[in-house]
Amino acid sequence: MTAIIPLRKPKMCNVIEYKDSKLVYRRYASLFFIACIDNDENELMTLEVIQRYVEIMDKVYGNVCELDIIFNFELAYHILDELIIDGVMQESSTSEVLKRISYQEQMEQSTGIQTVYA
Amino acid sequence: MTSLRSFIRSVRSTKTIAEERAAIRKESAKIRTSFRDPHLDESHRRKNIQKLLYLYILGEPTYFGQVECLKLLVSPSFSNKRLGYMAAMLILDENQEILTLLTNSLDNDLKSPNQYIAGLALSTLGNIASPELAKDLYANVESLLNTSSPYLRKKATIVAAKLVKKEPDLAEVFIEKIPSLLKERSHGTLLGTLQLMREIFLQDESSHDILRKLVPGVLAHLRFLATTGFSPEYDVKGVPDPFLYVSLLQTLRYLLEGDESNPNLEALDDLLTQICARLENSKGPGHAVLYEAVMTIFAVNSDSSLRVMGVGILSKFLSLKDNNTRYVALNTLLSVISHEPVAVQRHRAMIVGCLQDADVSIRRRALELTFAIMNQQNIRMLTKELVQFLAATSSSDDELKTYITTQLTLACYKYSPGIDWTFDTLIRMLEIAGNFFSDDIISSILALMMQNRDAELTKKAVRQLLNASKVAYSQFGLAIVTIWSLGEYGDLVLDSQKVTEASEVDVLNTFLELSTFDETSKRDQIRLYSLTAALKLSSRFKSSREVERLRKLIDSSKEDTNLEVQIRAIEYTEIFGEPRSIKKGLLERMPPPPRKEHEGAALFGRSTAQKSVSEPAKTGDLLLDLFDNDDSQADESKPAEKETTLDILSDIFGTTGDNEKTAAGKKVTGNTDILNLLSGSSPSAAPSAAVIPPTTRSIPMAEPPASLPTPIPAYNDSTISVGFVPGHVGNGEATLTGVVKNETSSSTVRGISILCAVTKHQELELSAITKNTLAPGAVATLGIKITGKEGSKVKLRIKVGYEIGGENVGQQFDFSGITERL
Repeated sequence: MTAIIPLRKPKMCNVIEYKDSKLVYRRYASLFFIACIDNDENELMTLEVIQRYVEIMDKVYGNVCELDIIFNFELAYHILDELIIDGVMQESSTSEVLKRISYQEQMEQSTGIQTVYA
Repeated sequence: MTSLRSFIRSVRSTKTIAEERAAIRKESAKIRTSFRDPHLDESHRRKNIQKLLYLYILGEPTYFGQVECLKLLVSPSFSNKRLGYMAAMLILDENQEILTLLTNSLDNDLKSPNQYIAGLALSTLGNIASPELAKDLYANVESLLNTSSPYLRKKATIVAAKLVKKEPDLAEVFIEKIPSLLKERSHGTLLGTLQLMREIFLQDESSHDILRKLVPGVLAHLRFLATTGFSPEYDVKGVPDPFLYVSLLQTLRYLLEGDESNPNLEALDDLLTQICARLENSKGPGHAVLYEAVMTIFAVNSDSSLRVMGVGILSKFLSLKDNNTRYVALNTLLSVISHEPVAVQRHRAMIVGCLQDADVSIRRRALELTFAIMNQQNIRMLTKELVQFLAATSSSDDELKTYITTQLTLACYKYSPGIDWTFDTLIRMLEIAGNFFSDDIISSILALMMQNRDAELTKKAVRQLLNASKVAYSQFGLAIVTIWSLGEYGDLVLDSQKVTEASEVDVLNTFLELSTFDETSKRDQIRLYSLTAALKLSSRFKSSREVERLRKLIDSSKEDTNLEVQIRAIEYTEIFGEPRSIKKGLLERMPPPPRKEHEGAALFGRSTAQKSVSEPAKTGDLLLDLFDNDDSQADESKPAEKETTLDILSDIFGTTGDNEKTAAGKKVTGNTDILNLLSGSSPSAAPSAAVIPPTTRSIPMAEPPASLPTPIPAYNDSTISVGFVPGHVGNGEATLTGVVKNETSSSTVRGISILCAVTKHQELELSAITKNTLAPGAVATLGIKITGKEGSKVKLRIKVGYEIGGENVGQQFDFSGITERL
């Protein structure tokens, strides 16, 4: 997978047939986002889901780059868990996801203080 | 203890892979040691889990931290609980027993008054639910479907779908909730509800009628989206919530596919027309919705004018610059060709144009589609394009080349405008892509030659072959077909100038000494064919000088390094000395084999699943059928197919078993044994003996191709798994292919042995396992044939033994996963 995808040219299509599934990928500068989907799934929609994930990360991290994600991968996973469960999109509103993430980040902060003083 | 940040830094700052490994190993050891401390406090545990997750991202083993995750997620602190659940989702999976330890924590947290804590538990359950967890916790999820929090409701709907998937009996519980959920306005909850509907529809057949009654509710939401104005929260580039749009259409597609009596069809058709018209000129997400709408049109039996419009949209996609839309267009055209063959044909030029695309994904789709639209009228024109494609493609397309040669040969059988043309095409293909023919396709070509009754045409073809092979001698397929034709028809094509007995012997000599093939198996096969051709010609040549050269040719192989070739040469030398009358009968021309129907192969996806089951049986045994020997039919597993061409050699002797007995000077008892003797490595003879040790095979067994259908699982101990692929079942016999797979990620499993037993009234034949040492992820197969009373059940008791890490393991289990009866 990591051998094939980076070699593909920008104009090529973002779907690769891989074993009995399909890989749908999207490249943002040096970052690749890859999703593995079933055969009967909508490839174009998968691209939109990736796009949505990246947009939200961009807002949460503020101009997301590779290092942001590496050094705070927890947050990246948390965002994904608010967007998708078990491969199914759970929320189609960007602002709703952002709201839920920021609440939970705040809760982490405040409970952090509580445990320190408790 | 160092922080996560400094651990990440230290890994990133390494300069070589060895340094990186060392840094990782050091930290991993530290984490393990720390986990052993019974008094580990929570903040340290948290840090350890964070590092463990980084190890997970790097692809390192993390199993030793599983229990620690569970300890962390019971923490009263939200941040620790959040991390604990996240880690659980990532490093546990549903196959682990440790999941049962999770039941209690999930149960507690699902009841939490804090919606975010309950949300964490829901996400976790949705991602890693096992059937056990589903049974234990469905009531919690059910009550969360009624909660007042939309945040939890939307998560609960998706989790409910997951639980139904894991435990289909739960469909009954959740189906009752759907009507009220479907009335929701929240897009999140609707997305989940639609997923729940689809999952229940898939898992529970009795639900179909109930769910179909809910179609008007789904249509209402779709109508709202199709007519609604701008909504900043959900719109994407001017398209109203494309995620919901697609989910609604997809659900309709699932529910109504093949439903002949759909009372809502007219309303749906109207809506689809409206959607297509509205989105026709949009971009990006609009295409995704349009694409889904087209798939829905063809799934739900829409009106024919709508279907033509669907094909029109796809052809528009095809003409766009964006390769993604072109890809899905080609893909969808392939699936709609059965509905609208004429409409698809109209876009032939565009499809063929895509063959030249720089992108392999597009080329693959275009190729498959090209074969799908092929018929008697256009075969000439399409073949021209395909042959051009074959000649032009680079080495990266090897897989495609084999696909083309196979499909085109089959198409020649099916749609040929004339045998003359077929021979021309096949020879042209052999010439430019002779190294990309599968063995069974070569057999088919040979069969075609034998079936042809027009002697002039045969002569012409053989001359063409001889000419072609002078230039393209490194094309394996061409070489095999040429040598074989020479053996069969060499005496027919003699003329006084160009083709003489001497020149034919020269050709054989060249092939025998050819060293252009890297693979020894190919080289040996060419030698075997050459020897047979030489022997056959020796009985028909008139010039004693050339006959003597042929004798020398065979004689020279007596010391070949390959045992098979050597044996053959020695046997042939014996036959050479026999009187002419015996030889004449023995070396007679082959009778034409009966015609067989072939089924095409698919490059990918959809059709492979069903077709690959029947394919090996249908194409593989074309030549096996020739000798009237029951055993040859038995082993229809892949290896047999791979080596059918070798059997042609045994065929030659099939009719003359008795002469052979004396000639070879060996103690043999009948036809079967002679076949064994002459085709020593041919697995077609294998089933006659119960177990043959793999070492006796001189030609390496072929890897089972990737397209092997998913076996019915019979056993899995996380080291190896055993499953069965049913072949033919019925008429008092069953053939199965046993599939053994190494399930570990890094250990080699050795000394695999499989013993099988059937019930008293059945008989069992086993072929040897293809490999008894398996690398991680590797697969070995074995053929199984069961005969017995018609109507009896297929039941197997299997004993499997293997060695891993110096330890011997033996296991016994039963298999009765096949529903068909003998």
